[in-house]
Amino acid sequence: MTPAPLPDRSPITRRQCLLRCANGFGMLALQGLLADQVRAATRAGGDPRPRYRPRARSVIFLYMDGGPSQVDTFDPKPLLTREHGRPFGARMEPTQFDNNGNTLGSPWAFHQHGDSGLWVSELFPHVARNADRLCVVRSMVSEFSEHTNANYFLHTGSGLQGRPSMGAWIGYGLGSEARDLPAYVVLNGGLIPPGGVDNFHSGFLPAHTQGSIFRMQGQAVANLGTAATPDAATARQRTLLRQLDAEALQQQDGADAIAAAIANYELAFAMQAAVPELLDLGSEGTLLQHLYGIDHDYEHTRTFARQCLLARRLVERGVRFVQLTCPDTGHDRWDQHGNLKRGHDDNCRMVDQPIGALLQDLQARGLLDDTLVVWAGEFGRTPFAQGKNGRDHNPFGFSIWLAGGGVRGGMTYGATDDYGYKAVQDKVTIHDLHATILHLLGLDHQRLTYRFGGRDLRLTDVYGEVVRGILA
Amino acid sequence: MSAPGDRTAARALAGFLGFGLVATAVLAQQQPPAADRLQVFEAEVRPLLSEHCWRCHGRQVQKSGLRLDHGSFLRAGGTRGPALEAGDPAHSLLLRAVHYQDVDLQMPPRSRLAPAQVAVLERWIADGAFWPDEPVPAAAAPAPGFDFEQRRRHWAWQALCDPPSPPVRDATWVRDPLDAFVLAGLEAAELAPAPPASPAGLLRRVCFDLVGLPPAPALVTAFSADPSEQRYRAIVDDLLASPRFGERWARHWLDLVRYAETLGHEYDFEVPNAWRYRDYVIRALAADVPYDQFVREHLAGDLLPVPRRDPVTGANESVQGTAFWWFVEQTHSPVDVVQAQADRVANQIDVLGKTFLGLTVACARCHDHKFDAITTVDYYALYGIVAGARYAQQPLQPCDLQGEGYRAVLLLQRRLATAVATAAAAADSADPRWRQLALLPPERWDERLGSAAVPALRPGDTLIADAGDAAGWQLSDDGFGSAPWRGPVADDLPAQLQWRLLPGPWWHSGVAGTHRHGLLTTRSFVLDRPFVHVRVAGSGARATLVVEGFQLVRDPIYGGLHRSIGGGDARWVTYEVGRWQGRSAYLQFVDQDTADLADEAEDDRHDRGWVAAQQVLSSAVREPPPATTAVLPPLPFAAAALPAAVQQALTELAAAAARLPLSPTVPALAEGNGSDGHVFVRGNPQLPGELAPRRFLQALAGARAPAIAGGSGRRELADALLAADNPLPARVQVNRILHHLLGRGIVRTVDNFGALGERPTHKALLDRLATDFVRSGWSQKQMIRRVVLSSTYRMQSLAAAAARERDPRNDLFSRQSLRRLEGEAIRDALLALSGRLDQATFGPSVPVPLAESCNARGRPAQSGPLDGAGRRSIYLAVRRNFLPAFLLAFDTPAPFATVGARNSSNVPAQALALWNDPFVRQQCQRWAERELASGPATRAQRIGAMFTAAFAHPPTPQQQEQCERFVDDAAQSHGGDGSDLRAWTELAQVLVNQKEFIFLP
Repeated sequence: MTPAPLPDRSPITRRQCLLRCANGFGMLALQGLLADQVRAATRAGGDPRPRYRPRARSVIFLYMDGGPSQVDTFDPKPLLTREHGRPFGARMEPTQFDNNGNTLGSPWAFHQHGDSGLWVSELFPHVARNADRLCVVRSMVSEFSEHTNANYFLHTGSGLQGRPSMGAWIGYGLGSEARDLPAYVVLNGGLIPPGGVDNFHSGFLPAHTQGSIFRMQGQAVANLGTAATPDAATARQRTLLRQLDAEALQQQDGADAIAAAIANYELAFAMQAAVPELLDLGSEGTLLQHLYGIDHDYEHTRTFARQCLLARRLVERGVRFVQLTCPDTGHDRWDQHGNLKRGHDDNCRMVDQPIGALLQDLQARGLLDDTLVVWAGEFGRTPFAQGKNGRDHNPFGFSIWLAGGGVRGGMTYGATDDYGYKAVQDKVTIHDLHATILHLLGLDHQRLTYRFGGRDLRLTDVYGEVVRGILA
Repeated sequence: MSAPGDRTAARALAGFLGFGLVATAVLAQQQPPAADRLQVFEAEVRPLLSEHCWRCHGRQVQKSGLRLDHGSFLRAGGTRGPALEAGDPAHSLLLRAVHYQDVDLQMPPRSRLAPAQVAVLERWIADGAFWPDEPVPAAAAPAPGFDFEQRRRHWAWQALCDPPSPPVRDATWVRDPLDAFVLAGLEAAELAPAPPASPAGLLRRVCFDLVGLPPAPALVTAFSADPSEQRYRAIVDDLLASPRFGERWARHWLDLVRYAETLGHEYDFEVPNAWRYRDYVIRALAADVPYDQFVREHLAGDLLPVPRRDPVTGANESVQGTAFWWFVEQTHSPVDVVQAQADRVANQIDVLGKTFLGLTVACARCHDHKFDAITTVDYYALYGIVAGARYAQQPLQPCDLQGEGYRAVLLLQRRLATAVATAAAAADSADPRWRQLALLPPERWDERLGSAAVPALRPGDTLIADAGDAAGWQLSDDGFGSAPWRGPVADDLPAQLQWRLLPGPWWHSGVAGTHRHGLLTTRSFVLDRPFVHVRVAGSGARATLVVEGFQLVRDPIYGGLHRSIGGGDARWVTYEVGRWQGRSAYLQFVDQDTADLADEAEDDRHDRGWVAAQQVLSSAVREPPPATTAVLPPLPFAAAALPAAVQQALTELAAAAARLPLSPTVPALAEGNGSDGHVFVRGNPQLPGELAPRRFLQALAGARAPAIAGGSGRRELADALLAADNPLPARVQVNRILHHLLGRGIVRTVDNFGALGERPTHKALLDRLATDFVRSGWSQKQMIRRVVLSSTYRMQSLAAAAARERDPRNDLFSRQSLRRLEGEAIRDALLALSGRLDQATFGPSVPVPLAESCNARGRPAQSGPLDGAGRRSIYLAVRRNFLPAFLLAFDTPAPFATVGARNSSNVPAQALALWNDPFVRQQCQRWAERELASGPATRAQRIGAMFTAAFAHPPTPQQQEQCERFVDDAAQSHGGDGSDLRAWTELAQVLVNQKEFIFLP
């Protein structure tokens, strides 16, 4: 009997492997991926590699589904408090619910934090302790007032369904540094955002670039199985499979596609071994777990804490793009059309401590320098009330923040008007945000292209400028 | 479509005034001395414009066609109009832009100017917008032009030619002209074609290619024993005649039209009855409907004078082709309804262009096409046609409104009325009016009762539609008859006498019973008044105001456009339409109280209501006009104790109505009144540009718009697209057939024949095949047949060393392609192995199994069976937000755009799916059970049978030995004997993971 061919002994070349097999699970070094894969795959659009040094290796995207309110979190507006309850003093744009009330002052107080004196509302005490690491962009604009379009836009650069997600673009451009994990992982806290899993899809990019969804409940990864080590029967099956495949490959004269498919099985088996280890948080100290809030008395904080800790473990292992979606606090995400106070209180209780701990933990391990953390919703909320005590959607000016990975900490960028309604200074579009994220990863957003339907398509369509003012 | 510019400006102006910003600026009407003005201009204005504006509106770049480096340019303006009105800041676009209050126009784009800078511009304009007397700067070099004629020379636009087969040296290899073209190329390159595939390999290939299933083991055995030409031809003919053929090839087509049964986005609402379109495609392919007819049905199947009918059921087939327009994604509650329509139509045009023409027409949405001979005017000429059509559920078997059955029902309605009046007049206690009514034809009763007049218009009312005039209405199905009704109606058949008289003429869906589908719409009109009043009556019905084609009418925002209609009596319904001023709209009356298009009950036959419409007014007045209601005199008998003559008339009426055909419906197109639209400058619906009269692409049909006889212009579009001198439909479809059978088309970019697409590797062959295709009467089956009978098709996929070196991309067709099976074929093959395959055809889709955690909005109530009830994959539900994970792993495309060539990725998720997916494990166990129960007796024979079933060939001796040892070891470790189910299940799992299982060599 011949020994089973292992992937590194099978007759495929490294280049074939890069071209044909799972580049998302790249077995090869980053430099190799950069050198071959992108050039080969984007022949039409040129070489997306930068002329500048990548500042970030990975991205953690803290996705605040539903749209947190900028004027209650990172963009204090005293005028709202002064005019609270009075008719709104500026022109109102059409809103999603068309039920606009009076000016609504923030129910939360703002304080300055850190050496930088960054303003953060009392909703985020733990995040505020990291004030000097945060770069708050107060002048974000989107183009859509509807969740689904805005979600697609934030994730894929297009308001319509079906485009590749930014994590897929990044995985396509850079591959994964992890031996046995995909380039783009979604840690699903429980909520799938409006628009569904298409927010994480590969669109027209190769299927391997799509986000792999790890669930926080039940079996984490579909079809992965649970056993880190195969039982005897499985081992026997793998042996026979290798034997039969070897012969089939020989019959096809070592055809690339079949060789790549064989290699994929080895990667899949490696992933089956790796994921249980990844998910086992027992190796983390109890103090650290406590810092994240894994023992918090609020169930949703516990879930989000696990997500944040897993995010760190994933970037440690070389995963490129980790996205966290929110657990369900029962307030319909951050979408507080009514009961702003209760909804934002609970949502912040859920995410604040874990995010604060994540930033500290990344910093302590020296990971923050090359990990870009992005906190953003798909839009912000109106400074005037919806009904009595809610806020409607507002794409005209809202706040996000970034930290680490080559952005300057302890700063704000851009501004909204005196009501916190519309961005009026240094507006940053979603395309600009994408261009900047790619830039920090060392990718030129104008050169990262893929030909589909007759066009060389980009994450940033034909728009986007790198926001130089926030680069460290 | 309409022109919103003025209103937008007015709105912006109102915004300024609200801020009191203008007041200071218009104070100074007398102008300062010239020297002062020059000094102010040079010191403050010119530097400001230079620093903040000229980068995008200067000599080099003129965004929006606007230049701001000379006074004359400012006054001339750009695509939005003049940039300023000297002396009038309030009406100056420049000021509007820098004030930053209008989210649609904010300049400079990144940051607002400082208030002092805004004040400078405001004062400058108020003072007359002084610009020194200086020469007008030279225009910058014009941007490289759009050279239509030069682009039109691209190969794909050229007429088809009909080249003879080229001479070849080895004529024995040539089975079809196709082979001669291929061989001539190979011989020129000094290459030999690859040897033929093994009989087993060829059989497996042709079975998957034609029917998407592996060959039955018996067929493998038979063909191995007799792999003759005659036998092969017989097998091919059997496969083409198999019901499985249509199912296989329909899936290819569904990829093109982004077939889906839901609308996607937040709630993933349904497209009711979408599956009928899938069945229509399967039937059309099985029946080999000529491709040109098939295309015509897609574009205008609802308008054909003689629709194609199903030979068995008589159902209208043609109308079902138009369903594909509605597989466009749609969102509820878009804040901008015009933008929503623009996005919808863009997708529809994109699919139209790629599917039928292999052109990226939608690239011309914002600007002339970057590479092809397609202008923005071309795009908006098509836009007018597409946007002019409407959504409707159309009946497949409408009743013949001129036929005896229908006319009998109308007659019986009259007879019932006469019977009632006669009986009432005879009764002692009767209202004396009955005696008068009994002498009058029922259609004149309302006159006698003093309520015949339709409501009178007042100042401020504009009549949009009136039942007395057919011009205002668009009928799309048979539910409302062919003419308005006047007179009493028994509208709750076949229950007891439920009787009503609506005064005047009414379009009425209840005259011939309430069980059939009824949809009535008005002509489109512009909402130019704050109110729309609708005179309507009905029970269990709705009236919906459809704005800019927007049909997903739900809260928030749009809920008020939907009105439930009940109670039966005539009444006014008033819509407040202030929010939609200037928008185009029409009224839609549906005899079901559903929410909207996503909420039509599936084939509902029992709980339909009725609805009647008389008048639609656009009005400046909040209150509707006064109207009279005809009140019939009280009946002198109880409904439960009808006189015999009345009872008999009622029974006859109910029986006649019940005999009218009930019809299933399909999402389809219906005609609107149609109108030309404007170009949207830079794709922005807020910026209407030049008029774009409806017509087909200039590069194919010339620039002159043909007269449109009426309606949307789709009939004319179909004629132009299928005109004999348009080479693209035949080329594109023949190329697709080759793509599916040879692994690539002659043009590899099957959906893009434009300048950015790949060039044809065998242009003469493509033209020859396209010409033959048309000559054959557009028969797809004949084309498929000749390809699979060719020598080219039958080659093996292994490349000889010379071919690998000199033809690495297989540009010469020196060999077949090694292809990975699609997800559908893999899944269907698993079902075939396990014996679970249910060969039932057609019908509603089978729900997909959903994980508990798949909790996104719009999750269907029902999770489907793990094995999809054994149905072929084409019958699985295609819900946009809940697509089958197994198929997605194998590159089944998400339905959002035309996909003529699927990705064929090769990823670990596929390994995980085949190894661990519970569906695969379940089928493997069934397969093992099946082999143990009915298979041959010995272990060796059983292994041989399983190999043959999975791979269409027996194992090699080495494989045989490896498998035998595996089964022995496995059985032993499980403590079982030679027929241990676990052991054989484990073997089955290994076999379906062996790579040959998912590849076609």
